[in-house]
Formats: sequence, C-alpha cells, structure tokens
Amino acid sequence: MDPYSAEGELVNLHNYFHQAQYAQVIDFDTSALSSSNLLPARVLQLRAKIALSQVDEALSEISSDANKSTPDLKAVQILAQYSKAQHAGKPLDGNASAAEELAKSDGDNVNVQVLCGTVLAGAGMAEEALQVLGKHQGSLDAIALIVQIHLQQNRLDLANKEAQQARKWAQDNLLVNIAESWVGMRQGGEKYQAAYYVFEELAQAPATQSVQSLIGQAVAELHLGRLPEAEAALQQARDLDAENPDLLVNSVVLDTILGKVDEAKAAKEKLAKVHPEYQALADWAKKKEEFEKACERYTPKFDP
Amino acid sequence: MGTLIDRFEEHDGPVRGIDFHKTQPLFVSGGDDYKIKVWSYQTRRCLFTLNGHLDYVRTVFFHHELPWILSSSDDQTIRIWNWQNRSLICTMTGHNHYTMCAQFHPKEDLIVSASLDQSVRVWDISGLRKKHSAPTSMTFEDQMARANANQADMFGNTDAVVKFVLEGHDRGVNWVAFHPTLPLIVSAGDDRLVKLWRMSETKAWEVDTCRGHFQNVSACLFHPHQDLILSVGEDKTVRVWDLNKRTSVQSFKRENDRFWVIAAHPEINLFAAGHDNGVMVFKLERERPASAVYQNQLFYITKEKHVRMYDFAKNVESPSMLSLKKLGAPWTPPRTLSYNPAERAILVTSPADSGCYELVSLPRDASGAVEPTDTKRGQGNSAVFVARNRFAVFNQANQQIDIKDLTNSTTKTIKPPHGTTDIYFGGTGCLLLITATSVVLYDIQQKKQLAELAVNGVKYVVWSSDGLHAALLSKHNVTIVTKSLQQVSTLHETIRIKSATWDDAGVLLYSTLNHIKYTLMNGDNGIVRTLEHTVYLVRVKGRNVYCLDRAAKPKILQIDPTEYRFKLALVKRNYEEMLNIIRTSSLVGQSIISYLQKKGYPEIALQFVQDPQTRFELAIECGNLDVAVEMAKQLDRPLLWQRLSTEALAHGNHQVVEMTYQKLRNFDKLSFLYLATGEQDKLRRMAKIAEHRGDMTSRFQNALYLNDVENRIEMFKEIDLYPLAYITAKSHGLEDQCKDILEASGFTEDQISLPSVGQPLAPPKPVVPTFKANWPTKSTSSSTFEKALLGEVEGLDEAPTANGYDESDLLEPDVPKAANGELDIGEEDEDAEGWDMGDDVDAEVEGDFVNVETAEAGAGSSEADLWARNSPIAADHIAAGSFETAMQLLNRQIGAVNFKPLQPRFEEIYQASKTYLPASAGLPPLVNYVRRNPSETDSRKVLPFIPRDIESITVGELQAGKTAMQKNKLEDGVQLFKKMLHILMVNAVASAGEISQAKALIHTAAQYVLGMAIELERRRLTKNAQDISSLSDDDKKRSLELSAYFTVPEMEPSHVTLALFSAMNFAHKNKQLSSALSFANSLIEKGTNAKFKESARKIKAVCERNPNDTVDIEFDQFAEFDICAASYTPIYSGSPSSACPFDGVKYHSKYKGTVCKVCEVAQIGAPASGIRLFV
Repeated sequence: MDPYSAEGELVNLHNYFHQAQYAQVIDFDTSALSSSNLLPARVLQLRAKIALSQVDEALSEISSDANKSTPDLKAVQILAQYSKAQHAGKPLDGNASAAEELAKSDGDNVNVQVLCGTVLAGAGMAEEALQVLGKHQGSLDAIALIVQIHLQQNRLDLANKEAQQARKWAQDNLLVNIAESWVGMRQGGEKYQAAYYVFEELAQAPATQSVQSLIGQAVAELHLGRLPEAEAALQQARDLDAENPDLLVNSVVLDTILGKVDEAKAAKEKLAKVHPEYQALADWAKKKEEFEKACERYTPKFDP
Repeated sequence: MGTLIDRFEEHDGPVRGIDFHKTQPLFVSGGDDYKIKVWSYQTRRCLFTLNGHLDYVRTVFFHHELPWILSSSDDQTIRIWNWQNRSLICTMTGHNHYTMCAQFHPKEDLIVSASLDQSVRVWDISGLRKKHSAPTSMTFEDQMARANANQADMFGNTDAVVKFVLEGHDRGVNWVAFHPTLPLIVSAGDDRLVKLWRMSETKAWEVDTCRGHFQNVSACLFHPHQDLILSVGEDKTVRVWDLNKRTSVQSFKRENDRFWVIAAHPEINLFAAGHDNGVMVFKLERERPASAVYQNQLFYITKEKHVRMYDFAKNVESPSMLSLKKLGAPWTPPRTLSYNPAERAILVTSPADSGCYELVSLPRDASGAVEPTDTKRGQGNSAVFVARNRFAVFNQANQQIDIKDLTNSTTKTIKPPHGTTDIYFGGTGCLLLITATSVVLYDIQQKKQLAELAVNGVKYVVWSSDGLHAALLSKHNVTIVTKSLQQVSTLHETIRIKSATWDDAGVLLYSTLNHIKYTLMNGDNGIVRTLEHTVYLVRVKGRNVYCLDRAAKPKILQIDPTEYRFKLALVKRNYEEMLNIIRTSSLVGQSIISYLQKKGYPEIALQFVQDPQTRFELAIECGNLDVAVEMAKQLDRPLLWQRLSTEALAHGNHQVVEMTYQKLRNFDKLSFLYLATGEQDKLRRMAKIAEHRGDMTSRFQNALYLNDVENRIEMFKEIDLYPLAYITAKSHGLEDQCKDILEASGFTEDQISLPSVGQPLAPPKPVVPTFKANWPTKSTSSSTFEKALLGEVEGLDEAPTANGYDESDLLEPDVPKAANGELDIGEEDEDAEGWDMGDDVDAEVEGDFVNVETAEAGAGSSEADLWARNSPIAADHIAAGSFETAMQLLNRQIGAVNFKPLQPRFEEIYQASKTYLPASAGLPPLVNYVRRNPSETDSRKVLPFIPRDIESITVGELQAGKTAMQKNKLEDGVQLFKKMLHILMVNAVASAGEISQAKALIHTAAQYVLGMAIELERRRLTKNAQDISSLSDDDKKRSLELSAYFTVPEMEPSHVTLALFSAMNFAHKNKQLSSALSFANSLIEKGTNAKFKESARKIKAVCERNPNDTVDIEFDQFAEFDICAASYTPIYSGSPSSACPFDGVKYHSKYKGTVCKVCEVAQIGAPASGIRLFV
C-alpha cells in the first residue's frame, strides 16, 4: 500500500510537509511507524529542517545516521549542501553535478528523483531535472515538481496536462490541489478563484495554517483584485513570521500596487537585509541597470 | 367551480323553463304554477310575476333585443310578454297539444315551437314588431286595434302568423332550436329521433334524421360555433352529432339519470345538461393545444390540426407546416406534442382509438398545410422523446412502455409500476412515470427506479430551462422538485391550475383559470396578473409572458415581474439587484413591508417606511437605535420611550437609556443607571433633584448610592426619624452628630441600647469612567443592503465638501510671510548635450517590441512577453520588463527624451507586475503576473496591472496639489503636479471614457505647474516682499509682469481668484493703478469669494481716480496670449510658438528641441503621435 495514501501511515507527515508546516514535521513522533516507513519519514524530517534553514544541523544528523549510505540520505545530503550554497549566494554547479551523478546511479529511488530534481531545477538545469523526475512511478512529489518546473519554463500547457493527469488517479490529494492551484494562478480568470479557495482553506484552518499558505491566499487575492483582503492575509502571515522572504517580496508588490511607496521601500530594504540573495532583488536591480542603459540612447537637450 | 350562489324559491311546484337576459341582470322562469316570474339576480328578488297561462309553463326565453319574453305552455299557447310594461302582447294559438318549447330566432322575426301534437311550427312575428316599434301618431282606430292586440285583424290575421308547419316526427316533439347563423332547425322528439330541417323564404323541409337515442329525446341544440348537434334524452345519454354527415360523433352515458335539458354557454366551450339528480357541466373537447418549446421556438397544433411554429424572439408565427388531419379521429384534437430538435421531428399523441401516436418529420420550410408523407404511427397513450434517436411510448391498457428508435421499432420494453397513467421526460435517459398517487423517476438504461415521490394526481410536468428543476402540476397543487425528484416546495390552489412555465431566474409562473401567479423555490407565491380568458403559458421572458389561448393562437401578455424579482433577490440576498429594483420601480406599499417584516428583514423594510410609528417598530425590531430614537422624539409617547429604554438597555447603549429615563422622568431608574455607570456627578445632581422634589425615599436612595452619610442623617432628622438618624451617625462614628441628635431629642446616651453593628458598608467607587462610552453588547444589525443604501447617501454628501476653501486660507496670499520662496523650477538645467534625437524618432520602432528572453529548449514565452505583444501602451511594456521598447513608445507618442524623472514610475510599475508564490521547498517561488483584467483568460488579451488609476490620482495628487495651492505651499504644489504628470504619462486607463479624463488631468496639472512656477519666479525676484521700490527698474517691471501672468493659466476659478487678488494687491501697492483696476474688474467679474470682491471694489474706487501705471509692463488683459513656460513671457496668438507634445504647454519657438520645463520629460515641438492610455 502506498504509505502516502489516505490510509497510509505517512499521510499526515506528508501533508504537514506540503502545507509548509515544517515544525510539525520535525516534531512528528515517528516511533510508532512501521519499519518500512521510517526512512521516508526521516527524509521528510530532514527536508523540513533544510527548509527551515537548519542546514548544518541536518548535515550533522545525516553524517551520524546509520542509514547514511542509502541513496535516500545521500540525496538529502546533496539537497542540504545545495541549500547552503544557495543561501550563501555561491555557484550551484557542484551541487548540480553531484545530483546528476546520484540520479544516474540510483535513478529509481523516488527520494533521489525528487531531491536531485529539486537541486537540478534550482541550479537552472530544468531539462535535466525533468529527465530525472520523469522516471517516477506515481509520486505526487515528483509531479508537483514537474508542474513547477514547467511553469517556470512558461510551459503552461505541459504543466496543466501533468496536473490534470495526476488529478485523474490521485483525485483529491492535497498536493494535486496545490499543484493545480499553481497552474490556475497562471491561467487566471475563474481559476484565480479556485486557487484562492485551495490556499484559503489551508490558510484559515488552524490545523493547516502556515506562512506559505497565507502568502498563497494573499497572492491569489491580489490577482483577483481584492487588495484589502490580500493585505489582511499578508498581515496574518507577518504575525507568524515577519522575516519570511516570500512574505516580504509580496509585501513590496502589494504596497506598490496600493501606491504606498514608503512601505514598499521599507519592505524592500528589509528583504535586502534579511535575504540579500533573493532572486526578485536581483531582478529589480537588473531592471534598474537596464533603465539606465536604455536612457543613454536618448540625449535630452535642456534650455540653458 | 360550481358554487351555489343563491336559491330562488317562490314558484309553487317544479320550474321547467329559465333564461338569462343577455345584457341586464335579469332572468325569467316559468313553472307548474302557471306563472312566469322575472327576477333580478343582483337584488336576488322576484321583480314581478306574469300571469295568464292556464297550465304548466314549459319554456321561457328573452328576446335578444326587444323587451319581450316568449313562453310556451301546456295550455297549447305560445305567448309573448313585454317585461317592461309587464303586459301580455301576443298569444299564439295553433298547436293542439302541449307546446313543449318555443324559441326566438337569433336574428330574424321568427319563432319556432314544438308540441306534443308531433309538429314543429315556425311563426312570423314581423307584424308584432312593426306594431310595437312604430310610435307614430295614432288614430283612434289604431288605438282600438292596439287595445285588442291579440285579436285577429280585419283580414283574420294575427300579429303572429304561422309560416311553416314541419311534420315528420311520429311522436310528440319535445324541443326545437334555430341554428345561430344558418337557416336550419333541429328538433327532438319522443320518437327517439333528432331531426334536422332547412327552410328558405318560402318553404321548409326535413333534411335528415339523427338516429341513435333509444329513448325519448328531451332536448337538442346546435353547437354555437362548430358544425355539431348535441342532444340529450331519457336514455341517459348525451350525444354529439356531425351536422354535415348526421353521424354520431361521441356519446356519453350516465348510469342512472335521465337527461331533460341541455344548454350551451354563449362564448366559452361549455355545456350544461340537466338530469334527474342535478346538472352536469362539460366541455366537448380538450382545449389545451398540444405544444412544445425548444429554445426560441414554440411548436403547436392549431384547431385545424395544423402544425405551426412561433418564434419568441421575432414574435412571428410561421404558416402551417403540416396538416395532421388524419391523426386520430375527426373532432378529437391531439393531446401532446414532443419535439426532437436533432431530427426536427415531432411526436404527436391523440386519445382517439384508445390512444395513438404519430412520428412525423417537419418540412424544412413552412409551405402550408401539407399532408406528411412519411409517418410512423402506433398505439399508445403517451409518447415522448427521451433521446435524440429514441422515444418512449406508454400503453396504459397493457401497462407497458416501449422504447423505440426512429424507425418505430421497439428496442426495449419496460414494465412500469402498477397504476401508471402517464409518462413524461425525466431528464437525460430518464422518464417520469406518473401514477395516481406518486411520481417515479425511472432510469431507462438501468431499468430501475431512481426515486419516488408521493404526489397525488399529477397531470403535467414542466421542466426549468436549465433542467435542474421540474414543476409537477396537479389539479390544485404545484410541487417543485429537483431533477433527482427531491421535493423543494409545494403549494395548493383552490382554483384549478392550468399550466406553468419557468422564468430564467428560477421562478415558476403558473396559470390558473383566471390568474397568472408565481412561486419561488421557497414556496412564496403571489398573483402576477388576472386573466380574462384561460391561457396556457409556454414561456416567460422579461416582462412578456408567452402563451397559447384556447383557440391555439400564440399571445403575449405583459406582466410586472418586479414583485417576484424583488422577493427572489431577497431570498438570494442579492442586495444590488434589490437596490436596483427599489430605485427603478415603485415597489412600495404595505404588502411589501409586511412581507419583509414577516420574512425577517425589518432593516430592509425600514428603508421603505415613512410613517414614524411603523419606522419605530421596525427600528426596534432590527435594533437600529438611531432611527428608533429619532422616531421616538418625533412621536414622544411614554410607551415608546419605555420600549426604547428596554431595547437600548439590551444593547448596552446607556446614553439612550439615560435619555429615555429622563423623558419618562423615571428618577429611581435614572439614579440606579448612574450608579451602575459610575457617573458620580449626575448622581449627585439626582440627589439634589430628589431634595427639591421632597421625595425622601429617592433622597435616601441617592444618598446611599453616593455614600453620603451626612445627607442621610439630615434627611432622617427632617422627617423626625431620630432613632434612625442616630444609629446611622453612630454606625459611621459621627459622634458630634450623635450628640446633636441626642440633644434634639432630649435623650442621653445611656438611655439608648444599641444592637451591635459591624463596619458601615459603602458602595464601591467607580474606578473606570465607563459612562463615557456605551457598552456595545449587542451588535446592531446592519445588512449589506443597508450599507449599500448608506453608501449611496454618503456619496451624495461628499460632493459639496470637496470644494472647501475656508476664510483663513483665503487671506494667506495677501500676506505671503513664509520665506521659503526659493524657486527650483528654473534650476533644473543640466548640462545640455547636443540635440541629435532625430533618427530615434524613426518609424522602424514599429518593428519588434518583443524581447524574448533566451530560454532553454522547451521553454515557452512568459506572460510578460504577451503583455508587450498585446499592447501599444508604454506602461504595459514597462510592466513586461521591456524598458527599451517602452521608451521608444513614449518617444514616439509624446516625444519623451528625458527619462530620468520617470525612473521611480518605471520601477513602481515593474515592481507591481509580478507576485511570488512560494511553491516546492528548495525551489524559488513561482512568478505570477498580475493582470488588470483578472477575468480575462485569452492570452491575446491579458494585460498587466498598472498601479495608480485615474481615481487614485484625482483624490491623491490632484487634491494634494490643490491644497498646496490654497495653503500657499507652491514648491510642494509644483512637485505634486509634476509627479502627477509623470504618473499619467505612463499609465493605462480602465475604459475608453477615462481617456478624456486622463487628458483633462494632464492639462490641469500642466497649467498649475506653469502658474505656480510663474509665481515662484516672482517671489524669487522680489525676495517675497510686497514693496519692490528697492529693486532695479528691470526687476520691478519683471515682477509686476509675472504677477500679472500668474492670472493667465487655466486653474480652478477659486485659484484664479487667488492669483487675481494677489496681482491686484501687488499692483495697487506698487502704484500700478491701471493694472490694479483691471485686476479688480476681473475679480469682480470672475471672483468666487465675496470678501475679495469687496476689497476689489474698494481698490477699484481708489484706482478709478487716477488710472495710471508708474511702470509700463508687458501685459494686455484684453489680448489673447499664452505664457511661455521657459521664459515666462507672453506668446501672442499668431506669433510663432512650439508646444510640449505631452502636456500642451506653449513655448517660444527658440526653445524648440529642449526638454519641457513642465513635464521635464518630453521634448518641445517633437513630432508625436499622441499618448496611448487604452488598448
């Protein structure tokens, strides 16, 4: 039986992880799990730590783990190192090649697929990542990743196809809903509202609330043009974690839209302080340069 | 139906004949008491009695126009009476047995009579008419003749002469009647025959005989408008005969009662037959036209059995498409029609031959009533299409449903539940099977029942257009069910329900015999309109109800759907719709108010009511205290205040409670309220009031509340309760007081034995001043609806306040005291570089805006790229991140060259274009693109969101800028208006209509920048002084000129007033009396401020004495000119100039090619196509 399915032992742990409730994942009592599920649970807990930027801790835990030579934990290790490098703003080529190597040797392991796929995609090697992930056999984690990579490549059609296929056999699984919402946020129109419902349901139930789902809700509302509601959702997220980079970057966007120039500026500065490596910052800086460069093409003449 | 109105019991013995008058509220009766009585059915009284007959009176009839009554009697005579002067005017003798029946001809002066002497006689009464309708001058003989009217005249003729004697019956004749239009007579006799006779001017003869009755035939008549004869007899049957073929069409037998008489309704298709035990009212044929609706088309079968189509949208009736003459039997109209749009075929059933159906294809074009060529037919009581190529046929006799294909071969057979009487379409692949007591939803594929609902006697099923609901119509009930046969609601009607159809909004409209009514899903129903004739509804659209009348003609009836739409909106809580209805229609009235109240929407009802009492009730009910207080004040009745106080207390609104107690002069409660709210001051005041009122109990209470021991002792002393005073003093340790009391009462301390007392109790002191605010314990109910209404009211209120320009502000320009008169507008000058822009303005920019990012194989283009592709607006290109093309566009559209000032705007737009949705852990967030048309999904139409719409600019920068103008903060103002120009320069508006708004805003902002810049330049020159005598002559002249130019830009009138006022004062102070005079004149003419006008008049008076300028300045108030925004000198019309292509500000032509001073972006005089703000 699929351990992640509704009846499986890992379903809660898995849901916690994908609802971005990483603390719950780490605190999850794994002692009652059957032996076959211990390793996947371990992997999820380590991933949660990495997601919470407790990379060093995760690395040391791996090195002292009895199963450290399993491909699963090797993959986690690669992810941890990648995450570390990413935060430090270092080049990711080394991590990517390590991931590629592991994927070559243990490409059938689902954790290897998912984690190496993440690393490869994060390093900008989308095609390779898709190749690794393509070997999955009914892993929703892998499908979610594939959907995201397609979306990053602006292949809405492929992403939608993938999500719809998963919908057919996994039905109402949380991850399918979330992945569909990602697609919906690109499609727009009525899909905005559908995506909003998914995020809102997660964000407003105390048992499933997380910063990430609140941000999701806020973003959906922003796209729907419901700005005061989006602001309220962001504020809710701010109360949970004021320094979340995704929160900050979306605050910048929303404040700009609302014409709150000073607030937008403050949020931007805070983001630059807390997460200087954040991609949007680089994007904005690049655009500033572009602007200046483009200005040079014109030579205005002023009245003396 | 069939209610007894009244009984008229004055005849002695049986009443045999009766007739209603055609126009007057009269009827006549004749009976076995030999009497003829005329009655009024309004007063329900017998008006008079006509005596004369000597035996039973058999029949009585009114003449259709003359005031005559015709009677026939067993005394063998027929008599004519005038019911106006109540006299017998003619007696006709001739029959030699009982005359059983005599009737007037409907048009001519003829009478026909039947008698047991076996003859039928036709009488000519034209002589009688002549005699009674020619009031010419009368001779004595005439009068004599008249007096003996019923005597034969000198030639032996009477007024009525026998014209024909018709012999043919072998026994007595019981009844005879004229045909309404043709020269035909029908008679019925004891020889069991019905005979038809024809007559001409000169003779009459027997045409034919209808044989069939096997007992005496009592009565017969011609059908009022069809070629039929009806007869009734003692054989207990009613028979219908074909007039042309004289064959029996139909017969009806009653078990035990012999029929004696039959009558036809003059208009409606109804007949009445009297028998041994009562009267039977019946119709000959089904009047409901068979019809089916498909989309905008109604297919129906006319009375001639022609199939026609009616188009609702075009309101056109097609010519006949088919003739179904051969279907069923003649005189039997088809029962149902089912339409199959895919095959353009119809399935028609007829009850003839114990039920049959025909499947016919409709011709492509309606070319007249052709006989169908290819007809499939079979036996069955009901037949409906259930799929494009299948139909179901139900046969009641053998209780079987056959599913057939279009070639009429059975593909499946179903055994319906026992007692099934009818079948209807039940949604895709399903049937609704009707039994006497229930409805069954039956799945044809699975051959099983899906649901069953107990409903009695369903006759018709009407599906809603969305197929989600159906209405089951019984004789007196409407049951609404869902498509899965769940009952939604049911209602009962006392009047028979005829038909129903669904409104698009889900309201069922149904018709009874005389009303169109509606019902909502929740069972609320009401009358929509009354009907004069019964109709069969087929469709509702807007205010039109389409129906078929009984003649199978499509009709459109107008209805007012407001009421049910309102109720529907209420049920759906669609407040916008409700508001709209309230605004656009006159839907006010007691009924709607009580409806709202009953349904629990008092707050909405409140909006409709004017009457204070009702308003008060409603306000209390919905807890709207404000309104309640307002109304209570208007009405000012103690009972209302009482109720208000209770309600307010429940709300915790103690301020209202306080007021009501005050109104009610409820001092005790008031004191207690103050105690509870801790309002000590007022409590003290209450104590004083109590003292004034001399109310000791109240005083005591207040003193207790206040813990005012002295007051209490004082009070006890005043009312001579010394023991209480003493013990109070003692227990509070007030020994001095004790002594006083003892002295006053003449006791000593040891004479008094006291019980032991503990510590005196004191009421707690208030810690928090809770009386300052209400305690909102119960939220006031205010619906969205109410808010919407209030919102509207606020919107109206806002307008007048926006133009506030108060006195203190007005005076400021007079004394420009602040020293911050630095001008920065002219100092923007940067190193001027060679102007070589020409080649950039090339049309090649058109080429390719798209900036496809180099992506890996397999990647698509992002939405941002689409934006740039979809839009020629610069702002959209910025949002897409394509700054270069955006600049090219701006350059082309408005000649923009200096982009530096736009940088914040570029950043803002780009920043607002994307959101970041966190997705999988470890990967960067997903970028999504914010659209300004969120409901759009067509990738060729999506467009980015651009921050700052017209409205936000109007309420933001524009207002701030104008305020800066008023507050004399011109530096801030210039900056604000420039920012506004930049925001507008790179923007996108929501509608085509906003383009002109945006352009007006650009113009306004530019004029303000110009005006403010001129004034700032003047202040720089004069260093903010009013006195400029110390300046050089040039500067003097220049500053006077600038002050004058400040009045030129097109600003708001109040701001122009400011400029004029400032210029006038400045000129006046500097002895420019002529200029000052002209400004004063303009001010008086155009000024918006009374105070300024006043001082303008004074200055005018002063200046007029000596209208001369000391310095000659270049300002001609009468000339048309613009101000050059660079040099601040006039550009007279006609002289060469150049303008900024963006904001339209003018410059002397020498400035052409430089950057505009106002917007700081566009190049003066550059070729430009005009700004694009809307796709």
